[in-house]
Formats: sequence, C-alpha cells, structure tokens
Amino acid sequence: MSGLGTTDGPALICGEVRTCLLPTRRAVDERTAVLLLRLRADEPVRTSRRPNRHALSPDVLTGVDCRLPTATGAKVRAVGTVAAHAGLVEGRVLQSTAYFSAPATGPDRRRPWGYYLVRPGSLVPVGRLPEKSVTEGFLTGHQQDLLDVGSIAESLLARISRRHDLLDHDAPLTTTDTSLRWTASPADDGEPASALFTELGSGRRIVELRLPRGTTPVAAATLCEDLALHDWLLTTVGDKLDGLPPGSENQAAAMKVLRPLVDHLLHLWMPQARLDRALSPPWEELERHPGFSRQWNTMAQRIRDQLALQNLVRGEVPALS
Amino acid sequence: MNGPGTVFRESSADPRTESVPFSHLSLELGHLYMEDFAEGAARLRRHFAGVRPWVEAARAGLGPLPPGRRPRISTCFLIDDYFSRLATPAELIPPLLAAAAEAGLTIDYLARESGCAGPAPGPGGSDHRDRARPAESVLHRLVESPPPGSNGFRPPVGRTGWLTNGRRTPSQRTSAALDSTGVWQPPSETEARGHSVFLDVELWNGPEDARTWSCAFLASVWQLVRLGLLRDNGAAVLTPTRWQGAEFPAEWDALPPVLQLNPAATPFTAYVTCSVLPTRFLPVEHAVRVILDQVHVEAEALQQVAARSTGEGFPVPAGVVDRTSYVFPPGL
Repeated sequence: MSGLGTTDGPALICGEVRTCLLPTRRAVDERTAVLLLRLRADEPVRTSRRPNRHALSPDVLTGVDCRLPTATGAKVRAVGTVAAHAGLVEGRVLQSTAYFSAPATGPDRRRPWGYYLVRPGSLVPVGRLPEKSVTEGFLTGHQQDLLDVGSIAESLLARISRRHDLLDHDAPLTTTDTSLRWTASPADDGEPASALFTELGSGRRIVELRLPRGTTPVAAATLCEDLALHDWLLTTVGDKLDGLPPGSENQAAAMKVLRPLVDHLLHLWMPQARLDRALSPPWEELERHPGFSRQWNTMAQRIRDQLALQNLVRGEVPALS
Repeated sequence: MNGPGTVFRESSADPRTESVPFSHLSLELGHLYMEDFAEGAARLRRHFAGVRPWVEAARAGLGPLPPGRRPRISTCFLIDDYFSRLATPAELIPPLLAAAAEAGLTIDYLARESGCAGPAPGPGGSDHRDRARPAESVLHRLVESPPPGSNGFRPPVGRTGWLTNGRRTPSQRTSAALDSTGVWQPPSETEARGHSVFLDVELWNGPEDARTWSCAFLASVWQLVRLGLLRDNGAAVLTPTRWQGAEFPAEWDALPPVLQLNPAATPFTAYVTCSVLPTRFLPVEHAVRVILDQVHVEAEALQQVAARSTGEGFPVPAGVVDRTSYVFPPGL
C-alpha cells in the first residue's frame, strides 16, 4: 500500500482505537490469544514475542457509502471499506482499531464495488476531499448518519468478547474502556513527526498526527494503538490510586486495590514496542511533556513502596504485641 | 522497523504468501450435471462438438501478445461430484476424456467440485494442502457492497447465507394494527443503470456445521481458484496433482481435487478465465459475478498477479470479476 502523502497514496489517514481489559480472570496464553483473534480461517494471527507478547488479528473490512464528518458542514460522500483489526497485549489488554485512508480526490460518481475492494481500507471521496475540514470534523465528534468508525471498532471488540468458550467474563479489576480517535496528515519535508494529544475526559482521547510522507496506514495505526495502550494504563492505574487510603490506615482495603495492579498491569509498560523508528518523535515529545513514563514510574514506585511498607508493618505487629 | 545494520524478524509476525505459476488464459470446456453424463457417450460427444469452435474463438480472442510471447492457455473441466454422485470416477472420466479427444480437444486439468467446498470430514486428505476449506475461506472474505447510507453503525443488512447486489425490500410488518400504510417498497440494485436487476443469492443452506454450499457459491470459488487468488495461511490451495496413466479409482474422495492430465500443459492458474457453458448456467454465472464482486482477495495475492502480468506485457483488469468471461454458445 502506498504511504501517506505520496503521489498515489492517501492524503489523510483516520481511525479510532478502543482499549479494554480482556474480560477474563487470568491473562490468556498465546494459544488462546490466537483462537480469540482468528477472525478468518485462511489468514494467520500474527504473533510476536519480542519485546513483549503481542497477537494481531488479520484485517476485516466493512463496506461504507456515506457522508464524512466535516468541520464546515460541507457534504462529502465517500465510498469504500474501513479496515479493522484487534490486538492483544500480553494476553491481558484487548484493543481494536478501525481505520481508513483517503486519497485527495476520487471519481465523480460511485464506481463498481470491485474498484473499492482492490483498495482495502481506503475510503474514496466522490470528488475532492477537503482534508482540513474532514480532519477537524472527524476529531470533533460523531453525528448521526455520518461515518461511524467507532461503531466498527466497538463491534469487533464485542465479537471477540462474545467468545464465552474462551473468556469467563470475571475480570480481576474494574476498569474503564477508552477510545482514542486519531487523524494523520503528511508532515512537510524536514518537519519532524508530531502529535497533538487531547484528553477529553470520560475515556475519550483525540490525537492529531503529522507524520512523515510515506508512512503506511498500518504504521500510523500501530503508533496510535501504542499511545492508546499506555494512556489506558496510566488512566487505569491512576484511577485506582486516586483517593487510595494509606496502607497505614486500612491495610486490607489498600491491598485489595494494589494487588490486582501488580498481578495484571505493572509489567505491561513498554512504550514503542513495535514502532516504526520514523514515528518515534511524537512519543519522545509526550515523554518530555507531560511525561508518560515519568508518571508511570512514579505510580509504580508508589505501589511498590506501599507494598514494602505493609510488609514492614506486618513484620512489626507481632513484635509490638 | 529497525535502524540500519541490525535486523530482528519474527516469522510468525510477518507471514509470507506463496506465489503460483500463471497461464494467460484458463479455458473451461463446459460443465455438465451428473444426469447429462447418464445420457451416455453421444451426449458427451455433442457437448464437446458444440464447445470446439468457441475454443478456437477464445484463443484468437486473447489478443496480440508482446513479440516473442507464445500464448499460454490451459483447459480445464469441473466435474460435479458435490451435489450427486451417480457414477464412479472409473466409469465417468474415461468416456469424458474420449469424447473431448474425439472433438480434437484436450482436457489439461480435471477438477472436482467438492474440492472447492473442502475435504469431506473424517479420514483422507493426508496432504496438508488438501485440508484447506476454500468455500469457508471465501465466505469469510465477503465484504458486502454497501447501499448508499451505510455508515458503519448501520452496516449493510446481511441475511445469513444470502448475498445481494443491492437493497432488499424492507420486511413487511405483520401486525394488522401497524400495517395501515402497507406500502410495498421495491428492492434496488446498488449499481443499477436507471432500472434495477436485483439479485439475492443463496450461498448455503442447512445447519452451520454441516452446510451445503450452493452451486453459485462453489462456482465463485472455482473462478478464484483458476485465477490463482486463494491462499490458506499463505499457502497455495488446490494445486494440481499429476495423474498419468493410472486407473481412475472407484471413489471420488480418492481423487485429488485438481488433476493434471496433460503433462505438457501450461499452468492451471491463469491471469484471466473464459468459460464455455450451456446457457442454462446463465443465472448461476450472474450470481457468480455478484459474489465475485464482493470478495476481498488477499492483497499480496493480487499484488503478485499484477506484478507478474504487467511484467510480461499482459496487464489484467484491477477488479477480480472483470478477469472472468463467458461464452454461451447456441445448442450446447
């Protein structure tokens, strides 16, 4: 597939990532991960073990023919397919991404469907694509009857979660799902890749990316999944620690919160695990401000300190009595 | 993904797609029901005599090739052993080959329709490649053509086991109280030119774990196999097995799904296909085109065909359905 901003490539790539805890008591092993993500019999689930365990489903396509959201309200019809895939990190965190790329111009009427099927994951505008307006409109939010990639990502999550033969739906901790909606437009020559990350609250995030010319839609999606995963980890652990009574006051209550974090989440922090090197500048920028890893390390240290303290206190109690 | 110098790859994270050889044209020398075979040798002779002139036409119709290129045309014949098995291979195949030879035609490749469905459950299919289930794979590769207004939240309304070329008539309310409007709405063909020719194709029936595939669906799989566009986890499927001289067995399942009968034949898979068929198959082939138009073929397989065909000056149409053609001769 041609890359972003190249002569025959897309002018814009957009998508949405949904991130949630896999609804099961224990993290699943690689074999189960493969069964869960096997969306098609004839295409393998891609598994990777370095630098962490990751499984990725094949892409599935959904045909759409509808208006794209625009900031100006301009009516832009697009026809084609939205690609969606699901990934499982360390058998514990499930993500699904629905994404599409769009060329700057398309034929002035809908073509036979075969034309779109040989451009998988591409939404071809009928006429010209007002890139800026669509970028803004796509990030601002959803309106009825317009393109709804969130639903496509959500239905893929639902499809996987329905595997009751593999999942016990008895999660070890309650978490909030997040959705991260993103757009990527080509950066000017010599301009480094950049990201504008906005937290909208209640689990909604938007990221406006400018990426090097030639970036593939899959590479852009991988970057956003990586951002979404780590943002979800920060959100989840941050929420659990928010208002946590000091262990010295209520040891049992503190343990109940801290233990699942240690068992299930603390080992998942692995920024840029599979990132295209050209796409690392946005990550590095987010590391400087607000400092994703800095916050994570602080929280992880706090959890370990609390547990260490409890061990000490437990050791002291018999000595005092 | 890595910087210069150091490379770390994981094969399971980066699978490969096997490539297959290609003829220019895969020419199908007709199709018959089992009942037609039962009519005897004269019926077969009449069939191939009717096909013969159109074979010449199809060869000529391949068009000029770049200088120095000889046309590579392979012929094939699909035997329907899926819906009924009135005769054994030993009884059926030799007269078929003899009738073709009498008309001056050679059947390079002989295929079994049940091969397109996949192996019968139970023992057999010792070769890993024969265990692929092409029909099921294609079913999972259907991406329905969206009628206008499909935005992802409202995907095209699928009806299990059926596929259309448009939008169905909205279902009628059955309650008399709610049915006061009662206005019938017509179905519509998405790519209609002015007026619709709406088609609703049954892909399979029966329980999900013991489906009976429809003739139209298996014929679509057959086209994709001939076009070299199907893979099973990256491996080619239904690759021909050489069959020379040996007696034909008494059981259809003892035969490989695709036999190469002519050792000198050019490859089975081809850039484009042409099928010479009796006109009674026209509705089935209309359905085949509706199905093929909605199959999402693996990108790497498409890429391989595009690169190879362009490389030898015989570019193929981008859309898969446009690579298939038909002749419906009179009197066949």
